[in-house]
Amino acid sequence: MATDKSQHLQQVLETHKMLHIEKLLDKYKKTRTKVKEALEENFKDKIYNPINSGSYAKHTAINIKFDLDIVFPFKKDSFKTLEELFDEVYNFLYEKYKNEAVVKKQKVSIGIVFNTDGDEINIDVVPGRELNQEQYNNDYNLNLFVNSLYGLLAEKTYIQTNIQAQIDLIKGKSDERNIIRLLKIWKKTNAAPYKSFFLELITIKAFDKEDISGNLWEKLKSVMEYIRDNVNKDSFTLKDPGNSNNNVVDTLDNAEKNNLSNKMSNMIDNIENYSDNIKTYFPVNDQFEDKNMDRYGLKDSGIIAPSIPNKSQQFG
Amino acid sequence: MDFHNIEEINKIVSTIPFIDVLEDFKQAGIFLEARISVKNLKGLNENLNFDIQIFPQYPLKSHDSEALKFINRDLISYNHVMGDGSICIHTLHSPKLKQKLLADFESLKAWIEKYYINKNNDSHYEHIIINEQPFDDIYYSYQFTKVDYSFKKGEFGKVDLIPLSNGVYKKKTICNFLIKSFQSVKNSIKINSKWSDYYMNFEVKNLGFFIFLEDVPASHNRFAFSNWSELENYIPTDFLQFLHDFKKRNKKPKNTFLPIFFGYKTVKNEIHWISTLVKINEMPIAGSPILDSNGIKLKGQWKSELIDQKINWTITRNSSYKYLFGRGTFCDKITNAKILIIGVGAIGSMVAKTLVKCGAKNINIVEYDVKEPENVCRSEYSFSSGLYDKTFELIKTLHENSPFVNVKFHNNDEYFESFIKALHKDKESQKNYEESLNQFDIIFNCSTDNDLIFVLDQLKLSTDLINLSITNHAKDLVCAFYPNIYKYVQNQFINILDNDVEDLYNPTGCWSPTFKASYNDINLLTQYALKEINRKYDENKPKENFTLSINSENNSNIKFTQY
Repeated sequence: MATDKSQHLQQVLETHKMLHIEKLLDKYKKTRTKVKEALEENFKDKIYNPINSGSYAKHTAINIKFDLDIVFPFKKDSFKTLEELFDEVYNFLYEKYKNEAVVKKQKVSIGIVFNTDGDEINIDVVPGRELNQEQYNNDYNLNLFVNSLYGLLAEKTYIQTNIQAQIDLIKGKSDERNIIRLLKIWKKTNAAPYKSFFLELITIKAFDKEDISGNLWEKLKSVMEYIRDNVNKDSFTLKDPGNSNNNVVDTLDNAEKNNLSNKMSNMIDNIENYSDNIKTYFPVNDQFEDKNMDRYGLKDSGIIAPSIPNKSQQFG
Repeated sequence: MDFHNIEEINKIVSTIPFIDVLEDFKQAGIFLEARISVKNLKGLNENLNFDIQIFPQYPLKSHDSEALKFINRDLISYNHVMGDGSICIHTLHSPKLKQKLLADFESLKAWIEKYYINKNNDSHYEHIIINEQPFDDIYYSYQFTKVDYSFKKGEFGKVDLIPLSNGVYKKKTICNFLIKSFQSVKNSIKINSKWSDYYMNFEVKNLGFFIFLEDVPASHNRFAFSNWSELENYIPTDFLQFLHDFKKRNKKPKNTFLPIFFGYKTVKNEIHWISTLVKINEMPIAGSPILDSNGIKLKGQWKSELIDQKINWTITRNSSYKYLFGRGTFCDKITNAKILIIGVGAIGSMVAKTLVKCGAKNINIVEYDVKEPENVCRSEYSFSSGLYDKTFELIKTLHENSPFVNVKFHNNDEYFESFIKALHKDKESQKNYEESLNQFDIIFNCSTDNDLIFVLDQLKLSTDLINLSITNHAKDLVCAFYPNIYKYVQNQFINILDNDVEDLYNPTGCWSPTFKASYNDINLLTQYALKEINRKYDENKPKENFTLSINSENNSNIKFTQY
């Protein structure tokens, strides 16, 4: 039986909502507050007000993989170098939480993984330094220390960004947010090696450049077609709203761009040829899919027959 | 019976512009024979004469050889001339007499220009020509492979031989051996061949001698010497003394024989070994008195010298990895990988054997099941071995197919599947399994076990895990790469593919029905899948899932779907 693609995608979005994991999210928020207060206490006058960023702040989070990000804007004169700033924040967090969490340096952030009553709580701390002395509250421009290879940038350098502009870019764009969430679900469930930020920007650009309309599948398909047709063009750019010099498409090399274009092409063809294929690329989170279960907790009791293998039986 | 129209042949040959016919073709037994002179070629100062012999099969070839020979024994020192003075030519296939004759003469002209006038050398190496003969009506062959050692000119010693098999070769008995190791007399080092552990554990049953000559023991660099006396300037006297001492000391029956291996350098300092067999009481040496400066015999002082005796060349082959797999392998990323195969039923055994045939060097297997006679028809197992543990039989089969693969059981082989499932929720066990599986570069899961896939998908693996399975009737093959295996495979089998679970094969007395498909059905898709997997590794393509489907009633097409 053919699958109604839009209905399926609605269910995918529904089962991946954060509201299904409210208790866990509370733990996250409490942990974030704890980290935030500790940093504020320690660095006091050296920082401006921290801001929540990341997928949760942008309303593009999915419940199978997320972390909470906090950006700490440091004053221009707080440290001599960005590296020193990054290391100080890392050292502080490491000393503070080494007995209760794994603290590690990441590309532009410091990742802290707490284990709270069996749940992993991931908090990412992004230390940034205002671009110009005492200008942060006016322009929100920050320089971030880049700890390892980040696209075309060499190791141990910095990148200018504007977290507020990145958050603002997606404000009020609910259609875009749904497609971004679907692509993030695909990324996570199919181990697709693309950055969420890249998927966000390319989705927003597709909505800007193309007429993206129709039902949910039609919208998603149009965005996928846009990626298929454009990502590997030499002239294609994805400007970081926080830094117009940062072309986010440069995080992919040519082979990766071609692979992504081919991937989109295969996905569209396979789903159009056989609608059930949509379940491979965009699976429902079956942890929160209980409404289809019968009273014994089986989705489809018709598959049960004594002594005969069911359809899922592989051979070989 | 006349095989040819002599008149027609003479007429065609008379039209060829660059030759004079010295003697027309005439019948000589079953052959036609003629004599010609090649003239007027640029750079050819004097005419070149050739005897021509045409075989009854002409213009067809006989086996791989042309059925027409151009012979001039004076040209033996030139490239591509055989021991009987015939020029080695290969021309186009043609059943038409005129076309073939003209092509063969053109080919002779091309040979004269390239090798006689311009004295070109070929870029590829050709082995010297050896007249390999049976010894007392039995053939003996010796295969060698690379060693990590540089032999020095004149170095000699003993060779340990392991018997490989006895069989039939050119309708005579043949005894096949492998060279296991060399033991140099001067420095007592054992120089082991780089065969797999399986072969290196074979017991040494025979002995030989070696002498590394460095230079090629051949006339014109192409025809192996035929008489021991020709080796006089190649073999040092201490080796002859060594032979003499051995003959004296030896208590075996005097007609016992052994091989003597001569080593020399070929291209890029590669070493080739050729071998002769000698009876101990017929060593090709004789004592001769040592003379003083005045030519007077020194009393009681003798030396060994080579005598005028025919060399009994026997068969040697360089079976090192480079040559054994020279005709085609999988890419290095696969052949050099440490590979685990989970489940060696129909698909798993085909995957294992194909990997080995394609040059894989390190394979580990896991299987709990036994081979029953009815498994034989669609897997790589033999009837002749009877009932057998699949792992034991496959390990033997794989070793028999390559002397360069090491095949082992993976830890707790038969309990792997039950243990990993029982322990899959335990964090510590998970870590142990991750560590144990991540030591492999590639894992093929051919177990077709949904529960096992589910468990493996939960692990944090850095290895490449590849799942291969088919639907009933081998209508489709599903290939999935970690970490997109469990849900993808489930969706394929339940929703996408037509997995007919009603038309199954129910063996008499067996409670468990199985799928219907022949060796041909399964192997067709398995080989296609392996070819695609090899391409992904070779071209560094993303490891993305795919399916193969026989998508029409008459098998006319296999549909490849990339996910």
